Formats: sequence, C-alpha cells, structure tokens
Amino acid sequence: MDLNQSDKTNEFSRLGKTLCWFTKTENANKIFLGLALFCFALFLADFTYHKHGHFFIEEIPGFYAAYGFFMFTLLIMGAKALRFIIKRPENYYGDKAVDSEDYPADQLEQGSK
Amino acid sequence: MMISILPTAFIFIAAALVLGLLPKGNVRGVILLITPILAAWQIWNLPVGIFAQVEFVGQTLDMMRVDKLSRIFGLIFCLAAFLGNLYAWHVRDFIQQIAALLYAGAAIGAVFAGDLITLFFYWEGTALASVFLIWARRTEGSYHTGMRYLIIQITSGVILLAGTALLYRETGSITFERMTLGSLGTWLIFLSFGIKCAFPLLHNWLQDSYPAATITGTVILSAFTTKLAVYALARGFAGTELLIYIGAVMTLFPIFFAEIENDLRRVLAYSLNNQLGFMVVGIGVGTEMAINGTASHAFAHILYKALLFMSVGAVMLRTGTSKASELGGLCRTMPRTAIFCLIGAASISAFPLFSGFVTKSLIMDETANQHYPIIWAILVFASAGVLSHSGIKIPYFTFFGHDSGLRPNEAPIHMQMAMGFTAFLCVFIGVYPEPLYALLPYEVVYRPYTMSHVVGQLQLLCFALLAFAVLMRRGIHPPEIRAVNLDVDWIYRRFIPTFYNIIYNSVAKVFIFIEAVIISVIQMTIKGLYKLHGPETGVSRMRGVGAMVMWVAILLGVALISSYF
Repeated sequence: MDLNQSDKTNEFSRLGKTLCWFTKTENANKIFLGLALFCFALFLADFTYHKHGHFFIEEIPGFYAAYGFFMFTLLIMGAKALRFIIKRPENYYGDKAVDSEDYPADQLEQGSK
Repeated sequence: MMISILPTAFIFIAAALVLGLLPKGNVRGVILLITPILAAWQIWNLPVGIFAQVEFVGQTLDMMRVDKLSRIFGLIFCLAAFLGNLYAWHVRDFIQQIAALLYAGAAIGAVFAGDLITLFFYWEGTALASVFLIWARRTEGSYHTGMRYLIIQITSGVILLAGTALLYRETGSITFERMTLGSLGTWLIFLSFGIKCAFPLLHNWLQDSYPAATITGTVILSAFTTKLAVYALARGFAGTELLIYIGAVMTLFPIFFAEIENDLRRVLAYSLNNQLGFMVVGIGVGTEMAINGTASHAFAHILYKALLFMSVGAVMLRTGTSKASELGGLCRTMPRTAIFCLIGAASISAFPLFSGFVTKSLIMDETANQHYPIIWAILVFASAGVLSHSGIKIPYFTFFGHDSGLRPNEAPIHMQMAMGFTAFLCVFIGVYPEPLYALLPYEVVYRPYTMSHVVGQLQLLCFALLAFAVLMRRGIHPPEIRAVNLDVDWIYRRFIPTFYNIIYNSVAKVFIFIEAVIISVIQMTIKGLYKLHGPETGVSRMRGVGAMVMWVAILLGVALISSYF
C-alpha cells in the first residue's frame, strides 16, 4: 500500500497543522533559542529561593542543570561506544527471528491520507 | 473446604468461560470491558482481611488476602486490563481475548495469594496465559520467541515451587510473608521473583518477547508480569539491602541499550526495565515511604508505559512497523496519537504536573533520606536517561524528526479513547496526587510540589533536552539505523547453539575417526588374510603338478652336480 500519497498540508487536521510547525526547518532555530532561554531562566531561578537538599551538592546553584547536561552527553557518548561493540546486522539471528520478518499484514489496518 | 467469598481471579476465569459461548463481535468486547470493572468494584468494596480459605492436601490456602498493598496492585491491574481491552476492541482473535482475560485474572490472583502455593499456581498461570499474546502474531519468529519466553517464565515458577518446599521443610509454614535472605529456600524464591522482575542478566526475556507480541498483546503484557514480581518482592523482601544495588544497576544499564535500539517497542521494553529498577531500589530501602514510592510508581508506571506502548502500537497498526529508522514526521496525520505519546513521554520523564513526578520522587527522596548518596546520584542520572529514550527518542523519531514521507491515518477511535483516558489519568495523578497517595500501603506525609523539587527537576530535564538539541545539531547524536544489538540473549540464542554445535561436531569427529580406524584395521586384516590365504597368492595358491616335477628335477639335478665335487 502506498502511504506516500500527498504532502498537501491543507489535508491535515488543524491539530496536525499546528504540530507541523515544530517540524519545519526554519523554526528549528526558534525552538532551540526558546529552549536555551528557558534553561537560562531556570538556572537564574536557583538564586531566587533557599535551596534545601539532602546533600550539600544539591545546594550549589545550577547543580541539576550541569548534572543533567553532562550526564546526558556522557550517556549518548557511552551509547555510541556501546553500539560500536554490540551492533549486528538486522538478520543476525536468521530469518526466523521477529527482527527480520514483517508484521503480518492481515493484522494491520493500514490506510493513508 | 470453606469459601466465604469468591476470589477476584475467578471472575476473570468465569468470564473467559462465558466468552466462548457468545457470538463473535462486540458482545465479546463488552464482556472484556465489564469483567475488570466488576473485579475492581469487588476489590474496592472488600474489607481488609483473609477470605476464601481452602483446605488443600493438609494445608490451608489463603486465596484472598486483602490489605492495602495487595489492594492497590489489584486495582491497577483491573484498570490496566480495562484499558488494554478497550485498546484491543477491534481484535476478533478469540485466543488473544481469552489470553488477555486469564492473564489479568492470574496476575490479580497472584497479588491476593496469601500463601506460596496459591502464588505458585497463579505465577505459572500468568506465564501460560501470556505466551499466547506472543504466539497470536502467528509467525515463525514469534513462535520461537514465545518458546524462549515460556521456558524462562516456567523455570521461574519451578524455582518458586522448589524454594517453597525448602522453606516449608525449614519453617513448617507456606504463608507468603516477609522473608530474610539466608537459607537456600529463601534464595530460590528470591531468584524466582528476580527472573520475573528482570534483574540484570536475567532480564533479556523482556526485551526479547515484548516486541514479538501482537500490537495489542504488548500493551497487555507490559502491565502484569513484571509488576507482579515487584509486588512479590515488596511483600517478601522489603528492606533487603541487596535489592538497592540490584535496582540501581537495573536503572542504569538499560538506558544505554535503549538509546541505540531501533525497534521502538524494544526501546520501551528497555525503558520498562529501567523503571523497574527504581521500584526495586524502593523495595530495597524498605521504609514505609520507600514502599509507598514503589507502590505508587508501579501504579503510575503501568499507566504511562501502557500509553507509550499504545501510541507506538497505533503507529504500527497504521504503518506496519515500529522501527525508528522507518518512521518520522507522523505528527502531520496522526496528531492525536502524537499528543498522547508526548503525555506518556512527559509522565515517564517525570516532568512536573505529570504522574512520574509525584511518584518517582518518593523513592528518590527516601534513598537520599536513608543516606545512599551514590545510589541517589545513579537514580538522578537514570532519570535523565529515561528522558533520553522514552521522553525524546520515542516521540521525536516517530512523530517529528526527519519526514519519512508516511501519511498514515489517525489511530482508530477506540484506540484514541483508550489512549485519551490513559493520558488523562497520567495528568490527573500528576496534578492531583492525593487520591493515589490515599491508596498507598502507608500514610503519606509528602509534598511533591516544592520550589526546590520543581526547579531542580525542570533543570535536570531541560538541560538534558538542551544537550540533546546540541548533539543533534552537531550531528553527534547516534542516527537510527536498521540493526540489532547484542544482549544477554546472545548467550542462549547464539553462543550456546554455536558451542553445542562445536562440541557436537568434535565428538562426532572423534567417533568418525575411531570408526574409520576400526574399519581400516578390519579391512587391513581381511586384506592380509586374503593376501596370505586367498586363491591368487600366498600359501593357499594352487600349484601345478608340472611345476613340482620341475622343481624335484632341479633339486635332483643340483644334488647330482654337487656329488661330483
């Protein structure tokens, strides 16, 4: 079944059109800038109240921000290294594995706009 | 034999029997929806206590032990069964319908089991019923995966039975209550729970089987087996310190695997494993607040995990695939599914106002309260990891990201209803957690919405998002590619069969060699004898009379000549 029939946005529902905004390349910078500003505001918010954590490290302004940013990066790097070791072709376990077989078409309800 | 009240599991078994008598179609669907509602109504109205005691080979079996811990798990299982069956409204496959009913019934039966024998029966019941949700895909791949799943699940039950027998010999009791690790019996029971709870190295049945089940089957599978194991651990091994370390490892390693996995349903299975880790840490800490955290997190988790499986399932129903490398940009034509998926993603990532925020923090705060700084740091890291694969990867690579060009129809209306209701519950719990807190085993004295907590959590998540954005823009983030990744299942899917073949071939070679040596010895003997005694050569050769006369003449001649000298 051909699922690629149209690209006309006017055939999408209103909600679909709204969400479309996030996928446009020209908006990517706006989203990134918005996120960066929001993050900066969150960092500043740390100075506006008295922090009380269980560990002293929690009381350093921006601790969670730095931890989140660096640990996320570490995770991605670690995962990339892991992929280098454990990645195998899709049919590694042979033709009789679910990874290399199609989902039975009679159990699907495909259809496209 | 004395039955004062019908065990809740029997409602599901009765419904399964009735289902066969009804015509195919919506009537059966209605039964599938009414049964969990009836069961939930019964559980809601039952007072705390022990009911439905049955005498069985000299033992008293407690088929209905109702207390606050079993009640909250019983209720969420009913809710999960209802939502799963609503999602599967279009399914006309009788085997899947029966399996869904009996599976939920067995899980609820196990939760209310007051003794280890009853627990064992329902424990195996969940294994037997659930495998049909995998086999119902009806492909060779799913058949093999189902067999692997069944072997592991049944083994878990057999180990539980062995542990129960040893424990009975030791203590003379089969009551299912808090245990201390020490004797072989308790260790076996612990191991049995650990298999079903997907402890590290015992975990891979989960990632192997859930992506192999049917679209609706995976949604139902995701709710019961592992959370039953969490319940069993909370009941039997609360406060076992070892669980803190096991749980911490469980939160940690799946996030790396989930990050590079292509099949989104397997990503969710890894993510499920990671979420179980938080619950197991809570059980290990074992204080009232920590057990509250585990119970509430299990409750919230069943909902948002089902929601995520539902949204990926809806995409699969429309496109035929759940592989991230083949998807992208579906928000154009499946916007509602995208929104529901985002709500599930926000809930599992524990954004403020979503359910994960008000439940996970109970466990994390108590871990800090009880002074486990390293475990706490691991859990915070794992929280950022959850955001990475479930919060970002699932919605981004399915509904946004690069445009796959696919323009599938929106999910069927009953799926939207199931997703919508589940999404509503995720937000409701996040905004207004008090009703959930009231259901918890112990009194809750906790305020999730403090300035420190909200800002801290938002910082963690938003800066992780920022890191994602930076890595994407720099092209460092690993792309989605068609591949499989090795995990522990490699041992029994590849290494053992290969190793077996090597051993088999070596032994066979030795036998073939010995056989060849024996055969050649026999052949050489026969040839030798033949050479010696055969008709053509050797001693038995027939010689003519003339030759003998000639030789006699030569001999005589020689004798004659020699006599002259």
